Amino acid sequence: MLFNSIDFFIFLPIVFVSYWFLFHKKNKIQNTFLLVASYIFYGLWDWRFLFLILASTLVDFFVGQAIHNSDNQSKRKTWLWISVIFNISLLGFFKYYNFFVNSWVDFISILGYDLKSTWTLQIILPVGISFYTFQTMSYSLDIYYKRLSPTKDFIAFATFVSFFPQLVAGPIERASNLLSQITAKRVFNYVQCTEGLKLILWGLFKKVVIADSIAPIVDDIFANYHSYPASTLILGVSLFSFQVYGDFSGYSDIAIGTAKLFGIELMSNFKFPVFSRNVAEYWQRWHVSLSTWFRHYVYIPLGGSRVSKLKSVRNIIIIFLVSGFWHGANWTFIAWGALHAVLYIPVFLMGRNRIYMNNVVAENNWFPSVKEIIQIMITFSLVTFSRVFFRSESISDAFGFIKQCYTNFSYESYHHPLGYRMIDYYILLGIFVWYEFRIRRDERAPFKFKSKYVRFLVYALVILAMLLFYDDNVDRSFIYFQF
Amino acid sequence: MKKLILKSGLYFFLILIFLEGLVRVFHLGKDTPNRFLDEHEVEKWVPNQNGFSVTGNRRQNFSEYKINNSGYNSYREFNPTANKTELALVGDSFIEGFHQNYYNSIGKKIEQQFTDIEVYEYGYAGYDFADQLHLVHSYKEEFNHIDKVILGIKFSNDLTRSKYQVMTGRLALESPLNKLLKKSKLLVYTKSIGLLDPPQKLIYRMRSFLKSKQEPHVISEEETARIQKEKEQQYLANFESLVKLYGFDKERFTLLLDSRITPPLFLEHLETNNFDYLDFAPLFEASKKPTTLIYDRHWNNHGRSLIAKVITDHLQQNKGWK
Repeated sequence: MLFNSIDFFIFLPIVFVSYWFLFHKKNKIQNTFLLVASYIFYGLWDWRFLFLILASTLVDFFVGQAIHNSDNQSKRKTWLWISVIFNISLLGFFKYYNFFVNSWVDFISILGYDLKSTWTLQIILPVGISFYTFQTMSYSLDIYYKRLSPTKDFIAFATFVSFFPQLVAGPIERASNLLSQITAKRVFNYVQCTEGLKLILWGLFKKVVIADSIAPIVDDIFANYHSYPASTLILGVSLFSFQVYGDFSGYSDIAIGTAKLFGIELMSNFKFPVFSRNVAEYWQRWHVSLSTWFRHYVYIPLGGSRVSKLKSVRNIIIIFLVSGFWHGANWTFIAWGALHAVLYIPVFLMGRNRIYMNNVVAENNWFPSVKEIIQIMITFSLVTFSRVFFRSESISDAFGFIKQCYTNFSYESYHHPLGYRMIDYYILLGIFVWYEFRIRRDERAPFKFKSKYVRFLVYALVILAMLLFYDDNVDRSFIYFQF
Repeated sequence: MKKLILKSGLYFFLILIFLEGLVRVFHLGKDTPNRFLDEHEVEKWVPNQNGFSVTGNRRQNFSEYKINNSGYNSYREFNPTANKTELALVGDSFIEGFHQNYYNSIGKKIEQQFTDIEVYEYGYAGYDFADQLHLVHSYKEEFNHIDKVILGIKFSNDLTRSKYQVMTGRLALESPLNKLLKKSKLLVYTKSIGLLDPPQKLIYRMRSFLKSKQEPHVISEEETARIQKEKEQQYLANFESLVKLYGFDKERFTLLLDSRITPPLFLEHLETNNFDYLDFAPLFEASKKPTTLIYDRHWNNHGRSLIAKVITDHLQQNKGWK
């Protein structure tokens, strides 16, 4: 079920009203209801894969208790490995099996052997598998590192794994944040609910108006890159940067907003990455829940930055390669991760990777300084360049795209494949960037206006924009569902 | 909770009103003229209406229409007389031309090529060959004064009937409920951009879920070819039946068609039986520029110019019109 589908707009009010009116007396009943609703939410896509979620839930529920109950370190480690191997195996089979087979066949063919790829399987990638497996693993890891005590409430744990607002594309929550809220009694909070509704509206705007309206342009340019000049290709990849941001951050806003309706606070996933002043800041603002996960469970256990510079660089390379590979079973994502490692390492070596951690661009000013504008533009350009790999179907396409930029280095005006005026999109993005800059201090309050009349006007304009840019022909699924 | 529901409802209502106003101010929704059935049971637009036809979101295509006294979209009134040179174009939405300004129609383009002729465009969305011949037959006196009549025909769509009958489905659009719904420009706009399709699809999905599932019947290539052949023969029989029933003046009447989508069977029939026809396929095929709108299969301005050229060349070369 998609957040931007009619099914969800019927499902959500029913679940919301039932949750607060019918099942609010006891926490256990409320959680059971949430669990059933979450399984229905997922099952409407494909009920067969509910067994995977259930299996992952069962394994980590019992592994968590086994780790906690065991005093022997090697036994604890064994139990942890059971969780890690089980979850990675799920991912490995459903997401990476064909990739490994094809890569092996390619490798053998380089050595001169013609090996037919007969071992590949027709595997459907279960939506959200990369997200919920990481979430369940984090539970066992936290218990292993003694940051968390396991829960004995299976229903609460199953709800934590399958909580529908964030089940299919995050934010990837840690049990210390989400499970503790699920086990606690929740009380209806008017302010929290209105905040949730506002976030849902803003998320829908980003999805429908920014991401979906740009999608046909990006698809056209990437599909026909060999026939376009550099100006169009630069336009295409720049628009893709906005598309993927609108798509994923829009999804996250809807997820966070929906969770608020049920009295649950999820972690922020996007903190205006467009205004990052270097690549390190970008990674503190882009897909925060994934970056945090890798930092906690991969980077720090490897020694993080408390080891020698050389080892730290090695750790950075590992974390970016793994992060790239997490995104998809394709060399393009690994190249994308490697490129980000290359961009990050100089910032790290110069000691500038943490300088923007606790502040936002133009923190106390109306406008950014010239220096900040230049920094933002450079960062945006570098990140956008890396998106060529992220968006291309294959490595050769990505290099073909880049090659086309310098072999056909010319300007030509671009016409929308469906006949719309391109100027509409430039104006739209200009307004969007300006508005995001205006609200840059708080990603959870997109409609912070003192006057209720202004607020009403902005709501109406946001909905009007959705009506103006809605396109029935666009595939409305979320980009990150494929991960 | 009560406060949340009440306040959300109030905001929802106020925003709807505000959006209705904005849609009207920016004229995002299309105007649709009213239709009626005249004394001859010919379906047409209620005379003397004007408005704007809008396609897609953000006024992707925006054009003005003007329904004349005769109930058709045209900048001129239709007054055929014996002492003037007149040409009638009869057809469906392609001739009706709501996606172009009424003062830049195919008829207008043709008129500009001659010194003194009047072109009457009897176009109405959905008109098939039965509608067309019934119209010509019902207004025989007027059409007898018209020197040349060109009837647009698309074999696969326009010959499904062997005689004229009122299309009640189309006229149902004039029901009181539909008229009421049309008054909300916001509703018209959201429907036109497909925003209301998902709820409709959901209803269909629920219906089909409740119905028992039927195994899809796979048709072989031979079977498909046989069905297609039968259909072509049926359509040809319908053509003959309509011609016989309503009459077809082979001296004055010419068909306008696209040979790329017309079966050879029909073209052979026309040639064997001396039906005059104009084929616009060669000009369209040779065109380097697109001939149809991007978001719509109707002819764009260039396509309309080519159609006007086909007709103009025919009149100049074969009929000696100047």
